Amino acid sequence: MQVLRETNLQGLALAKKLGKKGTLELLAKRGLVGRGGASFPTHKKWERALSVKTNERFLICNADEGEPGTFKDKFLIKNNSETLIEGILIAAFVLDAKRCFIYLRAEYDSLRLELEKIIKKVLKKSKMKVSIEIVRGAGAYVCGEETAIIQSIMGRRGQPMEKPPYPTIKGLWGKPTVLNNVTTLTCVPQALLYEDWNPNYRLFSISGEVEHPGVYEWELGVKMSTILGTVKPKGKMKAMSFGCFGGIMPVYKSNRVSPALICDKNCHHGAYSLIFVGEKKNIVDVNLSMAKFYTYESCGKCTPCREGTIRLVELLKKIKSGQATNKDLKLLKELANHIQETSLCGLGASCGNHILTGMKNFKKDYKGFIKKK
Amino acid sequence: MEEKILLNILHEAQDKHGYLSEEVLKKISKKHQIPISRLYGIITFHTMFRVKKQGKHILELCGSPSCLLNGAREIERFIEKELNVEIGETTKDKKFSVYKTSCIGCCDGAPAMLIDGKPYVNLTIKRIKEILKELKNASTKRN
Ligand code: SF4
Ligand code: FES
Repeated sequence: MQVLRETNLQGLALAKKLGKKGTLELLAKRGLVGRGGASFPTHKKWERALSVKTNERFLICNADEGEPGTFKDKFLIKNNSETLIEGILIAAFVLDAKRCFIYLRAEYDSLRLELEKIIKKVLKKSKMKVSIEIVRGAGAYVCGEETAIIQSIMGRRGQPMEKPPYPTIKGLWGKPTVLNNVTTLTCVPQALLYEDWNPNYRLFSISGEVEHPGVYEWELGVKMSTILGTVKPKGKMKAMSFGCFGGIMPVYKSNRVSPALICDKNCHHGAYSLIFVGEKKNIVDVNLSMAKFYTYESCGKCTPCREGTIRLVELLKKIKSGQATNKDLKLLKELANHIQETSLCGLGASCGNHILTGMKNFKKDYKGFIKKK
Repeated sequence: MEEKILLNILHEAQDKHGYLSEEVLKKISKKHQIPISRLYGIITFHTMFRVKKQGKHILELCGSPSCLLNGAREIERFIEKELNVEIGETTKDKKFSVYKTSCIGCCDGAPAMLIDGKPYVNLTIKRIKEILKELKNASTKRN
């Protein structure tokens, strides 16, 4: 895997040789974009923070991945954390950040002590005067949102804030703050150092009803048949879900997995998490389990998301009980759309995707529960 | 002076005392000059802080899709029956507190759970029986 290549502080050495400007130029040339979901060019994010005149900038490494079906950052923390720390140091060098944070989700706390050791080791070798602190998350999915992480590190409830101001301009303690996720930062030294570094490789988290779940690296546009051939479905597959955000659709062997396939331009494919669903499962069940996730994780700040996610669960339960009519299906669709349109952050804005695509692509499953008058 | 991170302060206290009692929170509030109401605001926002005394071991069962597709519900039912508790409760002998959680990032080892923060994957009823037995034995030996 490209992303497992080690760089042994050579990426940092190169960055120092090139200087800030040269490093940003090379990152731009290599085409590194954020791997957290938004695919924003990394060098541009850093440039924005640099455009603010200040005596202090901060860097946050987002290790709070939590979308169900996603575990690629954990894989990197376990398997290539030295390169990750080097990426943090390169960012710190370019941004002049003296204090960096790794926001580690509570569910990964068992990796913390080992990570602390690696931080110490790499810092010592690099001789840089920078601190890298681990912030221990405490089980709130929404804290992965960038403005929420900032609130959380500052000792407040991790609720998303309205943007602008963007964190790159006004973030932690009012200072310009760059947030990059684990995969992006691991790619930084690799992209700088290796001429043959390919910007189109992505890490895929594969799970569900397959023989070989796990983290794989493929190029964007990889054929579904390649994926299936590798992960070996257990029997016939009915559907695949792009995490919880991206929607759920039938499995076509000839499909190519790229942002365009998943959901056109409004898509939250970001993490490339594929959950495979076998033919015996009912999609209403799958949707219900995802809907519960949103109810549980909504931070409660906006009414449509806080209340609406609860109603979605109620409606799905009603459908499953066989008591629902076509009117309820219509309501479900309306409500899902409505919440998405009126919510502040990505969680609310995508909480209905799985239901809308489930209803569209698996009509039979839904209709099967509807009361015949 | 660098501000100490509140989440870390709370975690350290919870690691030490097992849960965040009013007494512990009062101390933190005084030491760091943070109103206790704000502390509760933060604590109750997160699922992994506890304000009540917990069982000796904390079980957190994943209830997200990859685990459900691989039999998490059967595991959940079995644990509830075996320990005679409902999700969210602590057993009478105070050995286990059982919770349900969103995805813990072990979907490639579904169904999965955390026991005292450590992941246990590819769970089967047989494996759970062994794990529970080990935990019970270990705690009686230590007591
Ligand atoms: S959309 Fe939901 S999760 Fe996001 S800020 Fe609003 S209530 Fe919180
Ligand atoms: S869905 Fe259970 S660990 Fe991810």
